[in-house]
Amino acid sequence: MSALLEVEDVVRTFGGVRAVDGASFGVERNSITALIGPNGAGKSTLFAIIAGSLRPDTGKVLFDEHRIDRKSAYRVARAGVVRTYQSARVLTRMTVLENLLLASFGHPGERLTGIALRPRAARERDRVLHRQARELLALVGLESYEREYAGTLSGGQRKLLDLVRVLMLRPSLVLLDEPMAGVSPTLRVQLLEHILAMRRDRGITFLIVEHDLDFVMQAADRVVVMNQGRVLAAGSPDEIRANEDVVDAYLGKRH
Amino acid sequence: MFLQLLANGLVTGSVYAIAALGVSLIYGILRLVNFAYGDMMAFAALITYGVNGPLHQSMIVATLAGMAATAILALLIDVVLWRPLRARRAGFMSLFLASIGLALVLRQSLLLFGSAQPRTYKVNPYRVFVLGSIRLSEAQVIAIAGAAAAIVAAGLFLAYTTTGRVLRAMADDRALAAVAGIDVGRAIRVAWLISGLLAGLAGVLAALVEYSFDPNFGFQLLLPVFAAVVLGGIGSAYGALAGGLVLGVAQEVSTWSGFAGGVNPVYKPVVAFAVLALALMLRPQGFFGRARVA
Amino acid sequence: MNVLASGSFWAFVAVVAGIYTILALGLQLQFGFAGLLNFGQVAFMAIGAYTMAILVVKEGWSMWLAAPLGVIAAGVGGALLGVTTLRLRADYFAIVTIVFSEIIRYVATNENNLTGGSQGTIALGKVGTASQYNGEWASFQTRVQHALGFSSSDATMLVLVWGVAIVLLTLTWLAVRTPWGRVLRSIRDDEDAAASLGKNVLAYKLQALALGAALGGVAGLFYAWEFSFFSPTDFEPLLTFFAWMILLLGGVGRVFAVPVGALVFGLIFAGTRFLNFAPFSWFASDERAYLRLIIIGAIILLLVVLRPQGLLGKKREMVLE
Repeated sequence: MSALLEVEDVVRTFGGVRAVDGASFGVERNSITALIGPNGAGKSTLFAIIAGSLRPDTGKVLFDEHRIDRKSAYRVARAGVVRTYQSARVLTRMTVLENLLLASFGHPGERLTGIALRPRAARERDRVLHRQARELLALVGLESYEREYAGTLSGGQRKLLDLVRVLMLRPSLVLLDEPMAGVSPTLRVQLLEHILAMRRDRGITFLIVEHDLDFVMQAADRVVVMNQGRVLAAGSPDEIRANEDVVDAYLGKRH
Repeated sequence: MFLQLLANGLVTGSVYAIAALGVSLIYGILRLVNFAYGDMMAFAALITYGVNGPLHQSMIVATLAGMAATAILALLIDVVLWRPLRARRAGFMSLFLASIGLALVLRQSLLLFGSAQPRTYKVNPYRVFVLGSIRLSEAQVIAIAGAAAAIVAAGLFLAYTTTGRVLRAMADDRALAAVAGIDVGRAIRVAWLISGLLAGLAGVLAALVEYSFDPNFGFQLLLPVFAAVVLGGIGSAYGALAGGLVLGVAQEVSTWSGFAGGVNPVYKPVVAFAVLALALMLRPQGFFGRARVA
Repeated sequence: MNVLASGSFWAFVAVVAGIYTILALGLQLQFGFAGLLNFGQVAFMAIGAYTMAILVVKEGWSMWLAAPLGVIAAGVGGALLGVTTLRLRADYFAIVTIVFSEIIRYVATNENNLTGGSQGTIALGKVGTASQYNGEWASFQTRVQHALGFSSSDATMLVLVWGVAIVLLTLTWLAVRTPWGRVLRSIRDDEDAAASLGKNVLAYKLQALALGAALGGVAGLFYAWEFSFFSPTDFEPLLTFFAWMILLLGGVGRVFAVPVGALVFGLIFAGTRFLNFAPFSWFASDERAYLRLIIIGAIILLLVVLRPQGLLGKKREMVLE
């Protein structure tokens, strides 16, 4: 069985600088794959390309054997690839509940034609969404914040909200952008548990960009190391830890 | 005929260019689209008239007076309006609306205290300079010369003085500049000073070239100036200059009969906007602009 | 001071406030709910009014066919504007919308054959005749007046305008409470986050722009009916700024804040007519027109600085911005 996500020779330049310089790797189904590398290695750029916010200059990105590199961000999301942002971009001026209610595809009530022609289906869908949203909020202990503006939540609470919002969308592949950044140790444990549960119970695949190497070594099945826009090495956490090139890249011995 | 149109275009274009530079400088540092800029230009034109006409001073003295007055006005407005808004961390939308309110107040004040009647400067409309097949009036020559001098001066200032470099650095990344120990307050004051001087010069030159003007002409100028700023890429000083020249030339040259009869001169402003629309479709951030707001 | 007590005058003020309510409602949908910086709203008023007038006078259409077509034309205008400009960043979009509205006004001023040129709709018909598009509306209004038992046409117009305004306000209020409205608000909040939730941001913005434009078109129709003749100078950018001021006054993001803003604005605007005391009395009456606008501009500035959320807006939302 082929990999769920396949990145092939992706190149992307920004005003003369090759941010991604021919990167290739695959993400296996149901795995937790980590994407690591020193600053400026091109990880964020590659992430944005996979998620559809940026187009690659050349190269391909295949999801479930379909090309997604030419798709815009919202189409990529609908195809089953959902991303989070490092800063847990919740919709600050909307309530916590509304943040979750928005996490659905093909809601008839979200289209003008749907409201006009299928009002009952729209209401029904919204009812279902309300129920699902409340269940998920209870899962992460945010149920009492339902009516609060998401902007009033703390950083940690936002991360939790972000995570369950992802769940609402029933994705196949989740792109996590530095999920552990600025997170307290207690919350770390909680987030990791949720991620593992999502993988186990719902078969979700994860691609995680992280700087926190302890977390990566602990949670990831597979680690892909980038440096200077290219993939330097890929393998199990132990293999990567033992890889001299990787160590050098981080410590800057060569170049 | 084509060369004459080209020359006319350079005249209009250079006036647009210095005005656009003034707008771009302020945007670069304060992220403020200054809608009152057109009326500041009209203010300068009127002050200059007052000094040139009733006070019988030469155009040079009058123009300098107009520029100085506009610079002072710009600084005053910063103290009274923009600084309080900055203190309240006003967002882009608030600043936009405030500059519109300001434009309204300025223009109506000019109408109120100055009246809507058209005015002209004391220049000789019949004196013509001939260069090959091109004929330029005295006003046009003054406009090109004045604009060119201002562009060179501004260019040198931005490139070689410390303050100029500071302004460019701030346009690039204001937060970083502040952390690097740059005196942000002083830089802002300098930016308004220069923007005011440029608005002053642009206003007088535009009024000169148009021959007769009234307080409303500022807003009419503002739109092609904004178009120039967007064309060049908002926040880019060089882009603003290039955008101004390109639009001015495009406007005049489009009426050339060689272009399938040429555009009806009445529609010259629409040509400027059409150029802008086309350019934005090809390059949404403008030619020297950044793809995303920082 | 007799005018102050005149019911006819205040009815007129209320009619104009009603027209502005509809205009500003379109803007509220575009900006208050979808976050679009539309500074060319007056253009859609012009499109609605001119389309109706041209169809009636030049093509001999019935008013009742021409009017809806005016609204549709305005909506289509909004859609066309959106298709070409919605991919631009916010500040460019704002500038381009003003440019758009000036181009509309420019074309209306110069295409004499089509629009009557700078003279306005009075010159729409044959040379030497003063053309009228208001015949059918005037007789309709008279019928309503008799049916309602009113003695003045101003009161009748007031009922008609505000009747339509209330219907439109209610429809808009209902629409923004739907999941569709929820998506609009999410786009205003953070369009990239909305896209990552699978929302086709461009399509929603286009819908908001077109619907808001159609509302502007309705405002244009009522403007045409109230004033019988209009010309391009009636649709200058100043009217768009008034609509923005109404949004600021009432509050951004609340449908029923719009009529409040419009009425307050109408009171301020009309009220400044009666500044017969010093220092205003030092100015001649035509100069007072400038003074009124200065006061209005100053009020915009004060509002922006001191109460950007408007009279009825939610301060919490502003703080979270």
